[in-house]
Amino acid sequence: MSEATQTAGAIATHDHADQPHHPGAGIYLIVALFLCVLTAMEITVFYVPALKTVIVPVLLVLAAAKFALIAMFFMHLKYDSWTLSGIFIFPLFIAAFMLASLMMLFAYLAHHLA
Amino acid sequence: MAAHPKPLHVEPANYLQGGGVIGWLTTVDHKRIAVLYGVSALLFLGLGGLEAMAIRIQLWAPGEHFISARAYNELFTMHGTSMLFLAVMPLLLGTFANFMLPLQIGARDVAFPRINALSFWVSLMGAILLHLGWFFGGLPDAGWFGYANLTERMYSPGLPLDFWTLGLIVAGASTILATLNFLVTLITMRAPGMSYMRMPMFCWAIMITSILVLLAFPPLTVGLIFLLMDRFFGTHFYIVSAGATPILWQHLFWLFGHPEVYIIALPAFGVISEVVPTFSRKPLFGYPMMAYSICLIAFLSYGVWGHHMFATGMGPVADAAFAVTSMLIAIPTGIKIFSWIATVWGGSLRMTTSFYFALGMILEFTFGGLSGIMHASAPIDLQQTDSYFVVAHFHYVLFGGAVFAILAGIFYWWPKVTGKMLSERLGKLQFWLTIIGFNGTFFPMHFLGMWGMPRRIYTYGAGLGWTHLNQLETVCAMILGLAFLVMYINMVWSIANGEKAPPDPWDGRSLEWSVASPPPVYNFARIPEVRGRDAWWIVKYGRTGSRGLAAYMSGKPPQPSAADLAPPAEPIHMPAPSIFPLILSIGVLVASLGVIIGEWRIVILGAVTLVVAAIAMGFEYPTFGQESHDPMAAPSSGGTDVRKVGIWSFIGSECLFFASLIATYIIYKGRNIGGPGAEILEIPLTSFSTFALLMSSLAMVLALAAIQRNDRTWMRVWLGTTIGLGLVFLGVEAYEFTHFYHEGLSLQTDLFGQSFFTLVGFHGAHVSIGVLWLATLWFASFGEKFDGSRSLSVELAGLYWHFVDIVWVIIFTLVYLMQQVKGA
Repeated sequence: MSEATQTAGAIATHDHADQPHHPGAGIYLIVALFLCVLTAMEITVFYVPALKTVIVPVLLVLAAAKFALIAMFFMHLKYDSWTLSGIFIFPLFIAAFMLASLMMLFAYLAHHLA
Repeated sequence: MAAHPKPLHVEPANYLQGGGVIGWLTTVDHKRIAVLYGVSALLFLGLGGLEAMAIRIQLWAPGEHFISARAYNELFTMHGTSMLFLAVMPLLLGTFANFMLPLQIGARDVAFPRINALSFWVSLMGAILLHLGWFFGGLPDAGWFGYANLTERMYSPGLPLDFWTLGLIVAGASTILATLNFLVTLITMRAPGMSYMRMPMFCWAIMITSILVLLAFPPLTVGLIFLLMDRFFGTHFYIVSAGATPILWQHLFWLFGHPEVYIIALPAFGVISEVVPTFSRKPLFGYPMMAYSICLIAFLSYGVWGHHMFATGMGPVADAAFAVTSMLIAIPTGIKIFSWIATVWGGSLRMTTSFYFALGMILEFTFGGLSGIMHASAPIDLQQTDSYFVVAHFHYVLFGGAVFAILAGIFYWWPKVTGKMLSERLGKLQFWLTIIGFNGTFFPMHFLGMWGMPRRIYTYGAGLGWTHLNQLETVCAMILGLAFLVMYINMVWSIANGEKAPPDPWDGRSLEWSVASPPPVYNFARIPEVRGRDAWWIVKYGRTGSRGLAAYMSGKPPQPSAADLAPPAEPIHMPAPSIFPLILSIGVLVASLGVIIGEWRIVILGAVTLVVAAIAMGFEYPTFGQESHDPMAAPSSGGTDVRKVGIWSFIGSECLFFASLIATYIIYKGRNIGGPGAEILEIPLTSFSTFALLMSSLAMVLALAAIQRNDRTWMRVWLGTTIGLGLVFLGVEAYEFTHFYHEGLSLQTDLFGQSFFTLVGFHGAHVSIGVLWLATLWFASFGEKFDGSRSLSVELAGLYWHFVDIVWVIIFTLVYLMQQVKGA
């Protein structure tokens, strides 16, 4: 008895042959190395007074790079179907839009209440 | 481990037969679940209607005392809540979508049948929670919008608001589960040949609506969690004296609330797009533009929430932006209306009750849309805010749009669902009563609103000139009530004495009409091959040519042949029934009840029930460890495993959940009144835990690589490493929280403290769930069946784990490293 919804005959032969090829341990280690370097750079930026004026854009770029590396290689979006990328990227876009909109709306509110 | 359910070798009977009461309680058949949703929703539709009539009786005359002011507030609160969450959405999504989607795309069920059952039972428990206030001092009375800070304990004491808040969270979670299921089903389980551009328009509408639900409900959930925390744990998310702003609730609510309008409207559009071509005997005009306009409406709906808040003073730039996006949304909506009219134009019309209601919807919804464009203009909206003009507008949209479409859908699909025809005579009577009652009730509200009558008042003065129109509205509301009484009578009559429905009573165009009425359990004896849009029409009449057209226009549709309806040659394996979705949802109800009444023994009882049922659901999986024989794991029509699409859809929804928490943190971090601020955060310690979490992601992918090459030993090593690093992260977080508490920063201290602990705490809860998931896999890996064929289970857990990791990447940057940067 199966949980699923196709005919038994149609399903018996399916295996993971159609699954996309994933990278090996070597690629994963290189990505991890990059993640460590980027994190070290983030912490450095935090402690260097001279970078205070550009701390926001620099940290955002570094975080975005780490985010992209994990999503593309560890979560395999680089190798998987575009459908999965779409399912992730569209909500990400909406989330970023919502975040930016709320920050601007409340900044205006705070400015006019002050 | 629970016993494996016995295989259900499907008999060639229809889905309504057999099983008895137990069969219905344990069903995972999408059609039975749709019927359960339908019965529940029709009951709440009746209840909401009775509440509305009580409201109208109270407004019959100035100074009326039919009900008290408090009862009036309770009734309009529950009327709105019930109609939206317990009647209209469940009818459109739970009933129509659940029943029709698999049939229209040529599938045998939805992607996750047991989660489908869970969705229904949890939604029912949410509905019960919402109404439990009857037994604990009254119903909630803060409006369906629950504006802060009216909902705070100081203004809404007692339990009713607690039931409302938790009930909505539970009902919302069930809606997310249901729509995730629909989305995955539509992406992965379409019959061969059914490309996206060949899907029936109803399927398009449900697909896009599912995305809307997944992305719109999380902000509401976060807003409700804040409210619960204010009411139970002494936080101040909406309390002005603590430096907070109640406007935050309005943003979180309307970030959900306006997409919610389209969550209701788009499926309604889908229903009309099925009914109108069928009864006009023409293909849907402008199919591609209809599909694209659904997408555009959904996209724009995320950028219009502010038009509900013009009166809060968002500033000229924001007002202009929201006004423009709100007006823009009229363009794709207009495309739909003109396409329906063009479909009707020149058609060979069959004036059935369903078609009557569809035409009524086009007319009434257009009225509602036109007054909606007025609201999009900020200066005009300021005059109309909180007046009866707004009540008129949204009833023309929600009743004129959604309820008319639901009624069209009921008359259209009732024969397929029940196997019986509804009475057309009673149907037409219901239609005309509805038209008179609806317009007589809501059209005068435009005038009352412009004359200054505010909404949400339980009575009014005698000299204001509002009496006669209110009396007209009350009379017409009773006529409207009578219309629904006729519908219920029609339904009962149909079930008892109705004419037997043929498989294709309307000469339908889509695949649900190619199977028997009511359909067999397995839907299709053979999965159909789709050769174009209007797949069943093509089978009947051919793709083109006058011969097919002539037969089509003759009005004598060919029915499915005996061969089409013949039972399958071989047994079809269908999902086994399961009692655990019901038990799990009872656990949710009991635990929620315990939380609200403060009885922790009841909470523990509910939580244990919930957890045991969840584990049992996991282990009752009959092919545990044998995914190669599991069609759920089989590559689908989209080439991607259904569970992988499911977990990614969940992750997409989680993006909005965390974005809402992060936005709140950024807004509140600079609004402290006393107490430590962000400078208390320690970078060296958190850098260490960040490193641990990043390395856990590396260990996770190495575990996946190991199991993919069938190396179970190294898979266990790396999985254990991942769990260990996750525990290190959680340990550091626990130390950090304890340290902050000793430094004087707690959940109740200030806005920084509450938003920090809530954001980081919820992330920690996600890490904890991830650790439990991975630990379960680690133990399961000692089973003999755990080999390379189970790599997908590891990959799914890994996807969740990496997502938790990338959320931390954002939190580490925005919360810790940008601690000196001022908030919004």
